[in-house]
Amino acid sequence: MLELFLNFGLPFLLLLVAYFVGTMLEKGHFRSIRKREGEYAKFPVVTFDTMPDDWSASSGTLVSGSVVISLDYFKRVIAGLRAIVGGRIKTYEPLLDRARREAMLRMIEDARRDGYDAIFNVRLETSRLANSRGDGKGTAGVEMLAFGTAVKFASRFARTQ
Amino acid sequence: MKFIPRQPREGINVSDTHPLVEAGTLVAGLTVIFVAIALLLIFLVEIALYFIPVEKEVALFEDWLPEDLVTVSPADERLHQTQLLVDRLAFHWADAPYTFRVEIDDSSVANAMALPGGLIVVTEGLLDLVESENELAFVLGHELGHFRNRDHLRALGRGIVLSLFFATTMGKDVSNISVNVTDLALRGFSRQQESSADEFGLALVYTHYGHVDQAWRLFERWDETDGTVLNVVSYTSTHPDAGDRVDKLKDQALREGWPVEGSITGLKW
Repeated sequence: MLELFLNFGLPFLLLLVAYFVGTMLEKGHFRSIRKREGEYAKFPVVTFDTMPDDWSASSGTLVSGSVVISLDYFKRVIAGLRAIVGGRIKTYEPLLDRARREAMLRMIEDARRDGYDAIFNVRLETSRLANSRGDGKGTAGVEMLAFGTAVKFASRFARTQ
Repeated sequence: MKFIPRQPREGINVSDTHPLVEAGTLVAGLTVIFVAIALLLIFLVEIALYFIPVEKEVALFEDWLPEDLVTVSPADERLHQTQLLVDRLAFHWADAPYTFRVEIDDSSVANAMALPGGLIVVTEGLLDLVESENELAFVLGHELGHFRNRDHLRALGRGIVLSLFFATTMGKDVSNISVNVTDLALRGFSRQQESSADEFGLALVYTHYGHVDQAWRLFERWDETDGTVLNVVSYTSTHPDAGDRVDKLKDQALREGWPVEGSITGLKW
């Protein structure tokens, strides 16, 4: 009976806890992301690798925002099952969406803190953090890095154009 | 160029399937696939049985013992007597293709098993439980019935094929899969197989003693005490309900006109 619990009950309980806690954290994070995206919506962020012609910058610097996220146990188990048959790993999608948007927001926050007006040449990079257990097989988490060139406009006029 | 502020659109990069729906679909779908493959493997074992003649089986498993079997000393009198009883019973199975070997496992759980190559394993628990040779004879006759129907090989085949399958899917190393008594004891024969083995066993007992007195007394005792006699749970769980079994055996004796009373042979240890 105890063995049965240890083999099936415990992982199932863990799965349940991981699901509820994970869902709660994810919802909270999405709320925070949407709120901040609303606040920064008017802050220009573009992917051109050269500064748009009508921008006239007085100064510029590299800004970046990075976030490291981990998979919860529930998502990992479901993704493991998905890996058997293949297809979209739907449980990972919100996770990576959160990471991309959070990294962008952090980058914008980095720029705004120093009074920059816009960011161009924005790039996203990602890297996998290996698990320390199991010879580095398996994934402990993923890092998402957003970076770009932040500029201060020479005059407020330039920005409205 | 005018910069148009816009917030990221929801539902582009994230599918709106609920995670629990995704989980349910995957679990249900994979279960169906797994069960289908397991059934297919069992079916393949059935087919393979036609292509493995008894001689080949005997040659393959002649000296084989399950790895976790804890045998008693070869000088044990119970071993000697049980082997003798098996030989005498098998004598009445005219064209028995096996040379039967008996081993006693030191488990306290009452059980008896028919294993490939004509190996019969009885547990000390069972030997402690039986009160006469007639009782033991029926259990042994029942195991001989499994040999005749080749149930033992079917069970072993299923056991090996299924444990290989599960080990592969669970990502375990398949090179050190071993066949253990515990696995084999948990294999289930169907009621049909058990009944068929019962019939053969009873016929052997009748041919040997000239009556079937006490053949099913062990099961009657189990039924009366309702499993309180030692740890019979594991034995009865893979076998039909003791009451049903006794009824079927009584029917058979009545049908064949076999005397249900006769002289009882005591145990010789």
